[in-house]
Amino acid sequence: MKNNGGRLVIIILSLMCIIYLCALRFSYEKSDKSLMSKDTKPYVAVITKSTQSAYWKTTFAGAKAAGAEYNLELSFQGPEREEDFKTQNEMIHEAVEKGAKVIVFSAVDYHDNAEAINRAIDKDAKVVVIDSDVESEKVSCRISTDNYKAGQMVADALLKGEDKKLKVGIVNFDVNTENGQKREQGFRDSVAMANNVEIVSSINVNSTIDDAKEGTIAMLEENPQINAIVTFNEWTSLGVGYAIRELKLKDKAKVVAFDSNIISVGMLETGEVDALIVQNPYAMGYLGVEYAAKLINGDKIEKDTIDTTTTLITRENMFTPDNQKVLFSFE
Amino acid sequence: MRINRKNRLSLSKLVTAIVAITVFFSTAICVFFSLMYYKNAVEQNAITNSMQAVGQVSSMLTSYTKDMNDIMNAIRSTVEKEDKKLQYEYFTEMTQMRRDLETIMVYGEDGELLDYWAKGRVLKDKMSTNLSYEALPKKEGIHISAPHVQNMFLNDYLWVVTISEQIKTKSGEWHQICMDIHFANIASYVDGVGIGAHGYCFIMDDAGNIVYHPQQQLLYAKLKKERTDEIGKYSDGTHIADGVIYTVLTLDNCNWKIIGVSYVDEVVTSKVSNMAYIVLFIIGIVVFATTVAGMFFSRLLSKPAQELTEAMQKFEKEGEAFSFYPIDGTYEITSLSDSFGHMVVRIQELMEKVRQEEVTLRKTELNALQAQINPHFLYNTLDSISWMCEEGRTEEAVEMVNALARLFRISISKGHEMIKIERELQHAEAYLRIQKFRYKNKFTYSFRVDEKCRDYLCNKISLQPLIENAIYHGLDMSDDGEITIEVYEEQGNIVMAVIDDGVGMTEEECKRILNTDVDSPSGIGLKNVNDRVKIYFGPNYGLVIKSELDEGTRVEIHMPKVMEDNYEK
Repeated sequence: MKNNGGRLVIIILSLMCIIYLCALRFSYEKSDKSLMSKDTKPYVAVITKSTQSAYWKTTFAGAKAAGAEYNLELSFQGPEREEDFKTQNEMIHEAVEKGAKVIVFSAVDYHDNAEAINRAIDKDAKVVVIDSDVESEKVSCRISTDNYKAGQMVADALLKGEDKKLKVGIVNFDVNTENGQKREQGFRDSVAMANNVEIVSSINVNSTIDDAKEGTIAMLEENPQINAIVTFNEWTSLGVGYAIRELKLKDKAKVVAFDSNIISVGMLETGEVDALIVQNPYAMGYLGVEYAAKLINGDKIEKDTIDTTTTLITRENMFTPDNQKVLFSFE
Repeated sequence: MRINRKNRLSLSKLVTAIVAITVFFSTAICVFFSLMYYKNAVEQNAITNSMQAVGQVSSMLTSYTKDMNDIMNAIRSTVEKEDKKLQYEYFTEMTQMRRDLETIMVYGEDGELLDYWAKGRVLKDKMSTNLSYEALPKKEGIHISAPHVQNMFLNDYLWVVTISEQIKTKSGEWHQICMDIHFANIASYVDGVGIGAHGYCFIMDDAGNIVYHPQQQLLYAKLKKERTDEIGKYSDGTHIADGVIYTVLTLDNCNWKIIGVSYVDEVVTSKVSNMAYIVLFIIGIVVFATTVAGMFFSRLLSKPAQELTEAMQKFEKEGEAFSFYPIDGTYEITSLSDSFGHMVVRIQELMEKVRQEEVTLRKTELNALQAQINPHFLYNTLDSISWMCEEGRTEEAVEMVNALARLFRISISKGHEMIKIERELQHAEAYLRIQKFRYKNKFTYSFRVDEKCRDYLCNKISLQPLIENAIYHGLDMSDDGEITIEVYEEQGNIVMAVIDDGVGMTEEECKRILNTDVDSPSGIGLKNVNDRVKIYFGPNYGLVIKSELDEGTRVEIHMPKVMEDNYEK
């Protein structure tokens, strides 16, 4: 009597259990989704080195696209000067106070931003680093240009088709910013293998057009033998370009600069700049926020380091259909 | 009858299981088919939505391109008039008026820029290539370029499409008029149209270039890929590939195609699976509810049924001693229970009746047996008496006749079965006396009687067969024997014993004597005595035989203490 009936009852009960589990999972998913779609959108703070350059505007555009796609509330902040890590640290603190689930962060200072970031992570915020790294083990994910390789690309672009002796001046930005240093390192390691390159001078300037321009002019006046200049971000590129324009050196000096800006593209066309290494800020912004959404949803992140593309643009190839897409942001 | 019962299902579980399974499968089948139907409907709906979205974009774009055509015609007719002043004023005005009309250009036969109107912007000094010019064959007809950057002006790089046409001037030269159109308007048409949560429309030209895509920047940043090569080959209509629904529609008046993209996952699968989850949830509840309800109802039915079954089994085992308590439950159950109760009572009455009848029958039989006088015994006794008379032993003959008379008087006893032990002892003595005469004092006998026992009742003619047995079978007639009759009380019962010192018996013989109906000279055997005692007093009473070979035999009658006044016949 008991045996068969008991088994049957068990079968029926287990069947119902399975169904219930399905139902529970479903309701769980549903509640999860409804949580996402209601006005309590998860808050993600995007804190960058600056907010003014075309580079960062494109980054924000990418971040916004991902924010719309994943239904996140975003804020965009950055200090006025690209050396101001203190303001950045305050922004991190504020974002955590405001309940940011994830901070998408680009560090001004590899060392001095670390403590603030670690503190934020200790308070259960997650951090996705874009563009420029910070000295923290606890960062969930890093999305940036392979800066060392980008530095090598600068070297390649400089050396391409050049037989004459190159006397190079380097104009870099804040010595504490990780990505600038990596780029310079990549460049230096790469040109060290070429026998026609001599690095005559290397300066670090504040990341503004004016500072870079003045710095470059001073460097060129001090070392008139310089016939090549490399520089590693948008503002310093413009500064160098303006300096070359002012000194009318565009035919003498070969300039390899970084990032695209309508003005630097114009300089590429007019000759002050000879090559641009263009990063993919839109992808950085988009992927940064996309990974933030993944972290919020608890999805697994396959890779903790993602390299975005870099493209070498020269006067000759700047208007190919593909490079148009790289250089000129849409709208 | 009882085999396999252990393996059978009880009613309640069976009912519950059947109900639950039936409900489960029938709802499951219903759900399956309705889900299929639902899926179909959702798919159709998705396709219709996609079609509608694409149609909407198409009609807006058609009117837009028509607009552009009109502008082109206006430009052409103005150019054809070759009135420089009119041309200048008209084009300046036109570029000012239309926000999306960035530039109007007129090129000469060899591609040299003859004139341009560009909202007041001035050409660069040095232009590497002019992306807005594309040499066209010298014939009429509009050409629309792939999207490109306008690079004619200083620090101004806008994404545009160029619409160009060759016209023949009066002087017979071919001039190419071009206008660069900014995306703003097209974008506003396309961006606003969504299909599902993430679906969208985009525009492609017949060469497979994307003209406008709402996620253009994602495509440019290489974060997203559109499978333009394959989509370019699609004809108008709906195509489903890799979980994406593509709806293609070609514009009437230009080489653009509108592609609607929506995701099967999102517009079909998720809806269907949501539905499936809801339905499964409901099935779960229904099956659960029916199981619980089934359990409850079957309990209601089967628990009393089970009690009834148990009562029946118990009745089967216990019979007369069983007493039935009515079982509570539904109407059917109570009426079953009532009927069973009646039946139990009736069966027990019948059983009692049968028993009574049996007893009466046996008593009657025995009475008849007792009434019989063994003619052989009578004949022998009378023979002995006559022989005594002949020899002149009158005194002995008288005594013999008296004994015989007492024997018969007690035997008859007015037909009563039970007589006082006193009387039974007199009967035994009369018999012993007769036998002693007949066997010429070959044995002696004695009585040891507890006086308190004399008034209790015993079965009539119960000692005599025992004595007869002792004389005929127990005593060794070649030697003098001794027969002792004892009556005493033991553990609240009366024991009457007949003891001889004869040959004795083996244990097997003792048992056989009680089980076989031996024809004794008096007509009443030991078995008969045993049976009668058991019938009158119950199975705990009766004969006990103790015997040892060459030592003698002791036959005891055990019976309860019964007085005349509390014995009912």
